[in-house]
Amino acid sequence: MKLELTKLLHNLGALTDLSAEISSAHNFDEVTRASLHTLLGALAIPKGAVARFSTRPRQLKVVAAKGLNGVVGMKVPLGTNDALELQLRSSAIDLSAGGNGLSPFVRRNGEVLKRLRAHTLVPMVVGGEMVGAVFLSEKFTRDRFTRDDFEIINTICRHIGVAFYNHRLLVALKRKAKENQRLYRDMRQIYHDTIRAFGAAIDLKDAYTSGHSDRVARYAEAIAREMGVTGTELEHIGVAGYLHDIGKIVVDRTIINNPRPLTDREYSELNRHVTTGYEILSHIRHPWKEIAYMTKCHHEKVDGTGYPQGLHGDQIPLGAKIVTLADSFDAMTTDRPYRTRLPLESALAELRRHTGKQFAPEVVTAFCRLLLREMGGVTRERVFIPMIGLKFDRRAVTETLLAMISEFDIPRVAAVAG
Amino acid sequence: MSTAEVRSKLLEGAAIIYPGPYLNQLRGERIESRCQELLADGFRRLVINFEDTELINSIGISILLGVIEAVNEMNGTLVLSNLNDSNRDLFEMLGLLGHVGVEETEEGALERIGTLSH
Repeated sequence: MKLELTKLLHNLGALTDLSAEISSAHNFDEVTRASLHTLLGALAIPKGAVARFSTRPRQLKVVAAKGLNGVVGMKVPLGTNDALELQLRSSAIDLSAGGNGLSPFVRRNGEVLKRLRAHTLVPMVVGGEMVGAVFLSEKFTRDRFTRDDFEIINTICRHIGVAFYNHRLLVALKRKAKENQRLYRDMRQIYHDTIRAFGAAIDLKDAYTSGHSDRVARYAEAIAREMGVTGTELEHIGVAGYLHDIGKIVVDRTIINNPRPLTDREYSELNRHVTTGYEILSHIRHPWKEIAYMTKCHHEKVDGTGYPQGLHGDQIPLGAKIVTLADSFDAMTTDRPYRTRLPLESALAELRRHTGKQFAPEVVTAFCRLLLREMGGVTRERVFIPMIGLKFDRRAVTETLLAMISEFDIPRVAAVAG
Repeated sequence: MSTAEVRSKLLEGAAIIYPGPYLNQLRGERIESRCQELLADGFRRLVINFEDTELINSIGISILLGVIEAVNEMNGTLVLSNLNDSNRDLFEMLGLLGHVGVEETEEGALERIGTLSH
């Protein structure tokens, strides 16, 4: 009676340990090994192996073993009938009794089964699907398995089978997720390449502005990042940089390339490019709505004197304020039909003169900090210097930038005033 | 836990292993490996002292079966000591007592394998 109780407790303990192991965060190889130990230890079986079923090729591959050397990785080929037979049995089969209806399988795989010391084979079938099998030697005591022993073996193997099934689902799910991630990355690459192509197409309208959209996008992204913008918002600002002049596609090329001062009518047509650009982009669904509005606002000025809406200060989206500065800085530092490029010192003087009027002070200070860092070689990622070159008075430019930061850094000025 | 971390005591020609609570986990495989190392080093008489092993579970039994088989293959002697009542009942229920020596104390086990403790 006492030993019966011990047996019951030991077997219940084995099931509890098995459940804990299966639901643990251990890697699956460890779970499989621990599960095999649990099964073998429950009935004092010294040798055993767990194999995973695959359909192509149809076989059982040993993934864990105890008491057997060099069997992990070993394959047990299955004929069509073998697999079906095992699937239908789904409970322990005593192989020593002539294979119990599996004689062809036992004969064909005699050598492999001998190496596995397999006296009992337990197919693991979940939801009618074969997931693997467990091979067991005889008991340590050489006693035959009782009916109760087979019940315990079947119960524990069902648990291991479910763990195998779930693991297989998880692996398939992870593979799918990885594939989707790769597709998503490819799509994003195509998206960005297409936008860059659009930017290049816009720039081709103007013989002088080759690469303008590309530079504006790079400058805008760098400034936005400096201001702490991240993620999709940062990405949108870059895209708005590429597409800010998309409306120029419908502006007459002679107006864009006109070296003389424009007439009022010409100005009016040129200025319409912001609303045209908005109309083109706003018909495209999210996330383009924000991008469309940024392009519409890139000629707004913080003092309210810009176009097309005459917006003030924070009425203008941050992305648009950033693109405005990037656009103007590039326009000043590249040759135009009506003038040659300005020296950096003059371009900075212009920016300074228009800060608080055309340009937002917080954007200007972020730009100044970036340029200072690039000049000082503090940052590896250089955006402005490769474009504007190094033909300027470094000392004078440094002093100007520091003065601008001190003049326009609103929080610092406010803190000092407070 | 490496095999070096398995608590053991080496005597002349014999070794004592203290599995502690680790026997019941996958880490317990190191205990089996340690016993195999000792056998390879020429120790043919082994004692496993269960003084700090309150309960042996099925993983523990599986690991001990590996030790018993390894000792038998090398024609060695294995004696278990300090088994509490429930662990002794478990060995009896599994029919293992006929295959391995059991003594109440470590000293008794050493005496049985013909080694005196120092």
